[in-house]
Formats: sequence, structure tokens, C-alpha cells
Amino acid sequence: MLNKFIIISSLIFASPAFATNSPISGSVQAKCSIWTETQGVYGNPLPNKLDTLPASGGTKASIRVDIAQANFYKTRFTHPISFSSSPTLSDTITWTGSTVVGQVSVSGMSAYEAAKVVSPSNVTTFDMTLAGSTWFTVSSTALYGYNKSFPAGSYVAQIVAECIAK
Amino acid sequence: MRFLLTFIFIFCYNNSFAHEMTPAYPKFSTSYINNVSTTKMKLFNKREEVNYYKVEVWDNDWNPVAFASTNKIIKIGYNKTMLFDVYVQTKDIKYVVYICTVSKNFKQEQKVTLVASRICSKID
Repeated sequence: MLNKFIIISSLIFASPAFATNSPISGSVQAKCSIWTETQGVYGNPLPNKLDTLPASGGTKASIRVDIAQANFYKTRFTHPISFSSSPTLSDTITWTGSTVVGQVSVSGMSAYEAAKVVSPSNVTTFDMTLAGSTWFTVSSTALYGYNKSFPAGSYVAQIVAECIAK
Repeated sequence: MRFLLTFIFIFCYNNSFAHEMTPAYPKFSTSYINNVSTTKMKLFNKREEVNYYKVEVWDNDWNPVAFASTNKIIKIGYNKTMLFDVYVQTKDIKYVVYICTVSKNFKQEQKVTLVASRICSKID
């Protein structure tokens, strides 16, 4: 009698076992993002000079690079050595520029400035050894001929910001 | 505290635009075409002023490597993600080191410096 009761109750109360798939999902997130925060603007302090320095009435370009994983990327900034569009220019232009580390989210990133490699003269490379955000400031100056005035018109030059996996 | 301020700044400062590409270290696999290998990349455009990106494949010395892709110039809207395949002849795989996307800027009628962003993934 007791055996029958045990068997019947176990049939009633036994919960069935289900085999289900339990997927593990995940997504690959970008480890390096380039954020163009401020587009540079040339000021025209002298007839023969276009300059992004605020003192010259310009605005320096500000580019933020977010690194999610330390030591996986290097960043490279190329400041302009030609205009991508401009009026017809008959004389040579002397280009100068620089890329410097601005704000940093981790204090150790300040060392990027000392460790940067400038080669060739308009290309600056930084080894992103820490995770976080770094703001880079790019400036550019164009001097036209020997005391010649730039012709009136619009002038556009291009900065290239790169994130390269190591 | 500083970390928190940075975090708030990043997420509250809206006037910035990003370009992202994954994976950082893609791997080639055989494609459905004989002697051609392929890898899948994902591009994310959060640059409102950019709608086109060019795909590039380079060797270790930054010489271009012949490749094919669904589109070599990708049209992608703001805040959109796009998957694209890169096909390389299997005999050339040993030369491929970088797969890059570079933003294409429209001409502007101002005295400005445009920023072209380029992200390069590296073949392991």
C-alpha cells in the first residue's frame, strides 16, 4: 500500500526535466573611437597668414580619442601641408603645425606628450598605453609666399586623425 | 571624483562625433569563392557631418593591397552601423596587415581645417 502511494505521489509531483539551450551572448565593442569635438578654423591675422591660433582669431581643432583597452592602439595625427580646396595660388606656402596632448582622463596620460614621435614633420604618433580618453589639440599655420596676400576665397585643409591597432 | 567628472563630461557633451570600427583584430576565413578569403568588419558612424567612408587594405609598409568589398566607398547614415565584407585573394593574405576605414569629407566653403578620421584594424 505504502509503495503504491509513493509511486503515485512521485508520478504526480515529479517535475519534468527540460533540456534548454542557454546561449551566452556578447558583442564586440570598439576599443578605439575618434571623436571630432572642435573643427579648426583659420584666422587671418595678416594678409599672408592663415592660423588656427586663438590669438590670430582662429580655433584649434580638438580631437578626442577613447581607448577602451590599454596598449592595443596607437594614434597618429597628420596636420595639413596643403589645402584640400582654395583659390588658385601662384606662390609657395610654408606650413607649420603641431599636435599636443590636451586634457586627459587618467593622469598617467600626460606622459604621452613627452613620448610622442614626430616623423615626418607633419605626422605625430602617440602610443596609447592607457585606457581612457585623451584630447589632442591640432594647430596649423600657412604662410603665403614672401609677404604676399592670400587671394580672397575659402580655404580648407584637412587634418587626419588615425587609430591604428598595434 | 575626477573619473566621475570625466565620465559626466563624455556623456553630456553632445557636440562631438565619433567613428568606430570593429573588430580590432579580424581574422580571414575562406569564402565561397575559390582562392579568396574574407573577413567581416563593422563600421559605426556617429559623425553627423560624414556620410561616406572609404575602405582600405594595407601591407606592413602601408602599400595598398588589392581587395574587393561590397562597397569600397560605404554610404552610412548618422548613428548607423554597417557590416561589410573584405575579400582578398588567398595568395595575398600574407601581405595584409591593416584594414582601415577613412571618412570622406564634403568640401566646405569656409576657412577651416576638416578632420578626416581613419581607424585601422590589424590582422593578427
